[in-house]
Amino acid sequence: MPVTLRAKCLIVGDSAVGKSALTQVFHSDGAHFPKGYSMTVGVELCVKNISIPDTNDTVELYIYDTAGKETYSDYAQQAWEHPSVMMVVMDVTNENSFMACNRWVERVKAKAGQHIPGVFVANKTDLEGRRVVERNKAEEFAKGKGLEYFECSAKEQNNTDAPFYYLANAYYKLYQERVEVMKTIAS
Amino acid sequence: MFDVALAEAGAQVPIATSSDENFPPENIIDGKSETFWATTGLFPQEFIITFTALMSLEQIKINCYQVKGLAMERSIENEPVNFEPMCEKELCPSDASLQMEEFSGENSSAKHLKFVIKSGYDHFVSVHKVCVNGMASRE
Ligand SMILES: Nc1nc2c(ncn2[C@@H]2O[C@H](COP(=O)(O)OP(=O)(O)O)[C@@H](O)[C@H]2O)c(=O)[nH]1
Ligand SMILES: [Mg+2]
Repeated sequence: MPVTLRAKCLIVGDSAVGKSALTQVFHSDGAHFPKGYSMTVGVELCVKNISIPDTNDTVELYIYDTAGKETYSDYAQQAWEHPSVMMVVMDVTNENSFMACNRWVERVKAKAGQHIPGVFVANKTDLEGRRVVERNKAEEFAKGKGLEYFECSAKEQNNTDAPFYYLANAYYKLYQERVEVMKTIAS
Repeated sequence: MFDVALAEAGAQVPIATSSDENFPPENIIDGKSETFWATTGLFPQEFIITFTALMSLEQIKINCYQVKGLAMERSIENEPVNFEPMCEKELCPSDASLQMEEFSGENSSAKHLKFVIKSGYDHFVSVHKVCVNGMASRE
């Protein structure tokens, strides 16, 4: 019988960087890039199963797409509690969205209260001419925060699955490590 | 007085919210603390132990790892329904060894005990053994 792990994936970053677009493209297997901008109110939740390569196991990702603002509704607050993995998103055409990432990362870390796997996603790479955030700067930031770095375009559906797969696999690896510790502690 | 939560004594774990066949919930009632049930992510996590009959509970002991908020509930019905809260506790962290907690059963009766793990010190927690000292209730 295969194992199914469950993880809460918190997606954060400034408004309009493409958090909802990334989530929807991934969730719909590329069938749906939201054309009009509709502001996320509070939090939206969707669930997606990810198969772990070379096993029959899966990670069920509960993806919480947050609004890029502080919100005070109970549901939105609850969504922030005990994240398992995090995705921090910026828009490569918006310097401010990059500057804000430090605060987003620290806020999630404070909520997690323990190590959680994370990715840093530079979105909208299709807008080449308007790009202002350089790759090496973004990569350096990610490294400093212990996050895996990805570049993608939700619009062109380029590399959008990779960060989610990375998170699912990192979480799966964490489970295997923890189970080994449990075995050792008990013997 | 016996350990009435042993598989050998006829106890069962009919419901558990996580299942990895390598670490099944039956490991909780096999009498060994080396074997365990592992949770597979997120909280709360629950399991139910069903006794062979209505029992009068004297003491409940649990060996676990990385468990934080733990609550216990009991049911006197034949089926595992209509649970009533018994007690709730925040366990101390213990990185290098198993946590061992004891609760008084206060001689209340139960056919089923539900354990609710509300939070953990890690993403995944384990329950190695539950021991329930009790005897068949005279009612
Ligand atoms: N050019 C381009 N536009 C994008 C991309 N991803 C999102 N957008 C647009 O950016 C705007 C904000 O996207 P949205 O997903 O709602 O951002 P959120 O506030 O972070 O959830 C919308 O108009 C999207 O169509 C992308 O990869 N490239
Ligand atoms: Mg949004």
